[in-house]
Amino acid sequence: MGFGQFLAAPEIKLKIVTYRDVFQNTAQESSRFGEEYEKLSAVIKLDLKDISKLTIKEGDTVIVKNGFGKVVVKAQKSGYEEAHPGIAYMVNSPWSNVLVPDETGGSGVPKFKNFEVTVQGAKGEKVTGIRAL
Amino acid sequence: MTGEYYVCTGCALLCDDIEVETEDRKLSKVHAACLKGVARMKGCSDPLECTVDGEKADIDSAITKAAAILRNAKNPLIFGHGNSSSEAQKISIGLAKKTGAYIDDTSSFCQGPIVEAILQDKLRTCTLDDVRHKADVIIFWGADPSNSHPRHLSRYSYFPRGKERQRGWEEDRTAITIDIRKSSTAKICRDTRFYQIPMSADAEFMDAIVSGLSGKIPKTSFDFDKKRILELANVMKKAKFGVICVGLGLVYSLEELEPLFKLMEKLNEVSNFYLIPMVGQYNMRGFNQNLFAETGFINRVKFNSETGNANHGAENSVVEALKNKSVDAALIIGSDPLSSLPLSVARYLTEIPLITIDPCQNLTATRSTVTIPCALGGVEAGGTAVRMDGVEIELKKIVESDNLSDKEILTRIMEAI
Repeated sequence: MGFGQFLAAPEIKLKIVTYRDVFQNTAQESSRFGEEYEKLSAVIKLDLKDISKLTIKEGDTVIVKNGFGKVVVKAQKSGYEEAHPGIAYMVNSPWSNVLVPDETGGSGVPKFKNFEVTVQGAKGEKVTGIRAL
Repeated sequence: MTGEYYVCTGCALLCDDIEVETEDRKLSKVHAACLKGVARMKGCSDPLECTVDGEKADIDSAITKAAAILRNAKNPLIFGHGNSSSEAQKISIGLAKKTGAYIDDTSSFCQGPIVEAILQDKLRTCTLDDVRHKADVIIFWGADPSNSHPRHLSRYSYFPRGKERQRGWEEDRTAITIDIRKSSTAKICRDTRFYQIPMSADAEFMDAIVSGLSGKIPKTSFDFDKKRILELANVMKKAKFGVICVGLGLVYSLEELEPLFKLMEKLNEVSNFYLIPMVGQYNMRGFNQNLFAETGFINRVKFNSETGNANHGAENSVVEALKNKSVDAALIIGSDPLSSLPLSVARYLTEIPLITIDPCQNLTATRSTVTIPCALGGVEAGGTAVRMDGVEIELKKIVESDNLSDKEILTRIMEAI
């Protein structure tokens, strides 16, 4: 066991934007309970600066949480040319919906594409399975 | 191959040029559809089973139990409909009227405001066929069809030769993306035609374009290059047939539609512009039109079981009704709210008697009192559906199924109440 195990993983605040992905959507059509759907859904896409702030590597799991819920998902580089520190992307899925606030101001429309979370390294914790959401 | 063309129900483009090969009542090959469409038409690997209280049941017992749940509820919710035929939707509306139910669909938290404005003649629209044959300026605003509607660009909006657009994308069409991120569609439009704006800045960017179209200097609080906005305004002004494809990014960013109305009004003063909502589910627009014809509202209706009157308002939306815990049972058709709604809202569904009708197993079904498998629309059952642009499309049955269609299931539930 390394010394790092006893240090609290750094935590950062991020805004989440959700988006659609044809490959994830295709996996959903085949099975919502399949490995492929989890692999393509339980992901957060981060800016390089945010990855280094979190002291994690691409592919590590991270805890993403806010007052509405908590999920463990895999961290990936977003791959966007333009830097976007402070903003992370999650594909629209049951995992992102754990975190979407229920606040609507009575409008009936939740803020699916703009909400805040905190993120920290999960130190090897497994991705949250769909049945455990 | 069967030598016949079928319709893909993978999204609201309802592509009608699909050829298939069949084997043992399944589609073994699907030609011409996109990745997502092929997966939809071939069917899921975990079909829904007919169950009551978690135990396998026959269809008659499931229907009897579903009818009892709805009969005993004071304020049931009927939700879904985006993946149902228009015929099933009409029965569902009748069922809601009979049981005094809340009735709603996904448009309630996505494209509803745009479809409503179109049906109320507040926004100028056209068909996808018009786009294919005439459109020279195509704007994807908060939309990424390369992921959400993969054949949009190849069948209609950018690549095809059309009657008045014989040189296609190379010379005859200009595609523009306005988005907060460089989406797959934005890459196709290339850097000069990609306008990256900050989050929630869409209304302000619309005002800036209106200024540009009015000969004024377009200013934004985020200092967007004025020259580029003027260039964009100029391209829009010179369009012979322009179309704005409205995606969820734009819908969620606008607090009200006024800035979009102002932009469309100005565009049609100086140019010729139309708008099409990028509807996701294959027959969401059908539900909106069917409910509109019956009640004058496209969604968010609560029927009075005694008078049959329809009350409409945000408080009757699926989200507010679940948040306020004002429903005491729910029937979900072709949808998975435990996946697609915020879990903090949808979780209440697990506390009330719940019925799911769907071809496939999903999260909501795993928590349902009654699950009834239905035939897959456009593959195992026919009917009609309404494309994202309002054009009605006929769905043909391709293969037989042991499952009833959603229309038949709803009819039998209605009869049993």
